[in-house]
Amino acid sequence: MTESNQPTIEICDLHHAYKRQQAVRGVSFTVAPGAIHGFVGPNGAGKTTTLKILATLLTPQRGSVRVFGFDVVANYRDVRRKIGFMPDHFSLYRQMTVQEYLDFFAAAYGMDVQQRGRVVGDVLALTDMGARRNDLIKGLSRGMQQRISLARVLVHDPALLLLDEPASGLDPRARIELMEIIQELQRMGKTIFISSHILSELALLCDSVTILDRGTVRYSGPITGLNQSDGETGEYLLSLAGEDAGVEAALRKVGGVIDVTKPSKAPQYRISFHKKQTDPNLLLRAALDGGAQILGFQEVLRQLNQAFMDLTEPGVPPVMMEGANNAPPAPSATDSGGPQ
Amino acid sequence: MKLPALALFERSLRLETRSAMMCWARAGLLVLILLVLLPIQSMARGGWYGAPGLHFLQEMVWLNFVFITLAGLSYFASAITEEKEEMMLGLLRMTDLNGVSILLGKSTSRLVGALLLLLVQVPFILLAVTLGGVGPVQIAAAYGTLLAYLFLVCNLALLFSVVFRNTTTAAALTFAVLLLFLFGHYWGSALLQYKASTGQLNLQRGLGAKLTWIFDFWRQATPPDRLGTVFQTGFTGPAIGLQVASNLMLGLLSFLLAWLVFEPCTREEKDASPARRWFFRSASRRSRIPPGLVGPGAISWKDFTFISGGRMGLVVKFGLVAFLVGICNFMAWEFGNKRDITLEFEGNSLFWISLLMTAVCLALEAARLFGDEIRWKTLSSLVTLPISLRELAYRKVAGALAGTLPLLAGAVLGASMVPKDVGEFIKAVFRDSAAFGVFAVIILQYILFLHLTAYLSLVIKRGALPLAVAIQYIGGTFFMTFVAMIFSFGGSRGPGALCFVSGAICVVLTIVLHRAIGQRLTRAAAAE
Repeated sequence: MTESNQPTIEICDLHHAYKRQQAVRGVSFTVAPGAIHGFVGPNGAGKTTTLKILATLLTPQRGSVRVFGFDVVANYRDVRRKIGFMPDHFSLYRQMTVQEYLDFFAAAYGMDVQQRGRVVGDVLALTDMGARRNDLIKGLSRGMQQRISLARVLVHDPALLLLDEPASGLDPRARIELMEIIQELQRMGKTIFISSHILSELALLCDSVTILDRGTVRYSGPITGLNQSDGETGEYLLSLAGEDAGVEAALRKVGGVIDVTKPSKAPQYRISFHKKQTDPNLLLRAALDGGAQILGFQEVLRQLNQAFMDLTEPGVPPVMMEGANNAPPAPSATDSGGPQ
Repeated sequence: MKLPALALFERSLRLETRSAMMCWARAGLLVLILLVLLPIQSMARGGWYGAPGLHFLQEMVWLNFVFITLAGLSYFASAITEEKEEMMLGLLRMTDLNGVSILLGKSTSRLVGALLLLLVQVPFILLAVTLGGVGPVQIAAAYGTLLAYLFLVCNLALLFSVVFRNTTTAAALTFAVLLLFLFGHYWGSALLQYKASTGQLNLQRGLGAKLTWIFDFWRQATPPDRLGTVFQTGFTGPAIGLQVASNLMLGLLSFLLAWLVFEPCTREEKDASPARRWFFRSASRRSRIPPGLVGPGAISWKDFTFISGGRMGLVVKFGLVAFLVGICNFMAWEFGNKRDITLEFEGNSLFWISLLMTAVCLALEAARLFGDEIRWKTLSSLVTLPISLRELAYRKVAGALAGTLPLLAGAVLGASMVPKDVGEFIKAVFRDSAAFGVFAVIILQYILFLHLTAYLSLVIKRGALPLAVAIQYIGGTFFMTFVAMIFSFGGSRGPGALCFVSGAICVVLTIVLHRAIGQRLTRAAAAE
């Protein structure tokens, strides 16, 4: 694998357990350089554990985790130079001023006085906090503290940002501004690995996504791959000018059609089918042959939140231990979707 | 219980009594009693003690007294401040709970837990009667003294917990007031005696007589005085004396004051995260990292500045040493012989005050160095720096040590003023193995104490320092008793061997704690 196409993150068969709980088991996925990669899953899915392993705070118990080709255990110093980890809480020295705080971290990363002055100015400008540089962190609002956290992560110019719930607790304006900063960072060439529960924003922001549930990967790949319901079945919505009872029967006769349902009182039919056995043109022909006056015929694309609901299990996960065989089977999307 | 005012109290009581910590405390107490009992009984058989029961009772009561004074401080002083620090008090106040129910729920439940810890000892302490030399009335009076003192400590700490925003301040103020309560009458009486000796005051009438009566009353209200009376051979009572009544009254008064000030002191919820110290609140609020301190050196700078107080902290510490030396001079001038104020006197004062303050500062910093990072969840940002955890920890320690430089400089300066005394001291230390052993054991015990404090600060939320003092005191007492006993039965190997064993155990424990701190830090960073 050459330097250019080497994945930024490469996780292979990762396992990690706490005392009574298997947090992650057999997690494998990769993240491409320069991508914004969303990392989603219900509470207790193993997201934070994976993030902490990536940030070298936890040691994987089995499997390999590489960041820019460096092993997170053997080459943890190299990994730490390359990453900026922003935890889900404010890791701030609240008795310091903004300038002192950033200057301290810049110095801790080995920068001299001139470099520090320039870098701190740059990150403050990027996060729009320049005007508050002499304020005590203690007196800043939550949104501003979040910006300072992000600024701290950026001082040593990491190529990979690991952001754990960066938008939690922020007001809508602060969230939008944070998302803009993240997009700007991507334009600067950074890879961003972002764990969040705000799926609508992730859907707009991310190039790729990994959905984790109960310690296993349910999907990992490009976000566009989620828009199809899965690799083997397709779904289309047929809209008619008026009710036509014959259309449903005509559609059901097409080979490979799994189901035809009416999603609402409107004259619409939702058709699901096996992609290998039929294609949308045959469905459209069957509808026309059935005498329907067609207003629309479009593929049903799943949103991230719908995919999330489909791919994850409801409820609180039970205590799971390795080998207990109490994990639900992963849906087929995992096998077919995206680079594993 | 159906009373809404007692709902929180009932819940806290249930949690306290079921908590694993309380179970461990009770088990620890039983072990403690056995540890006290065994050597006393052995020594009594060997004819060392005439009244083993009295010795047993005395040891247990004094240990309890020290434990209440030290470990009880943070336990009780955090009753309300822990809610303030976690910004939960506002939520509690939004419920139907009023001030008194919150005070009862948060503090009195702890008091009940601590009272139970005392009372659970009583059946075992009654063994003292069997051992001989003590009567049931003495046991009742001694434990009555402790119970009343516990009530006072709890409610005094509660008062400061209501008034102040963080536990450290509340515990420090409680400790200061307790010290004043326990020893203030000595200073007052000494002053009166001095004034009387110079003819400025007549202690037989007027103001002098009234002040004498007050200080005498004050003395009788303190537990050490009462316990001194109770432990006298032939004490027949009463079991409840002036000390019990006055301590209960003072405790009740503190509770009522806490209730009175609860509303005004908790109306506004304020951020309890660490504040910038007053001595470097400069106008520009800028504290620059020196150009040379890059990489791990910056970590030392952070702890030097924000744990030790930075450059202004150095000046403040030096000023404090100078102030205390000045006080010594004043005391010698006022109460002693003016001819005693010599260069030698100044040197000795400077040396011992600097040394004492170094020890205190290091202990305070050990309690904060790692504990603060965990408490305010800042460890993960440090651990992801491209250095090892070991280097990070040592750099932090180096920063804290740098803050004690003016104190060490004071000690060196003081020593250089009395070269003859220093020479004699060095000679005495190296004269024989026993003297050197004692000196080495003291140093090793202090290093162990610092490690214990740092470790406890990673394990418990608050009160690491007083708990470490209590553990070290109790552990040290038992350990020395045991080792002395073993040596006395095993032949006369001498104090040198005793010191060697003590020192070796200190080293082993220090190494164990050193490693445990590293493991705990790793876990804590991952758990943030």
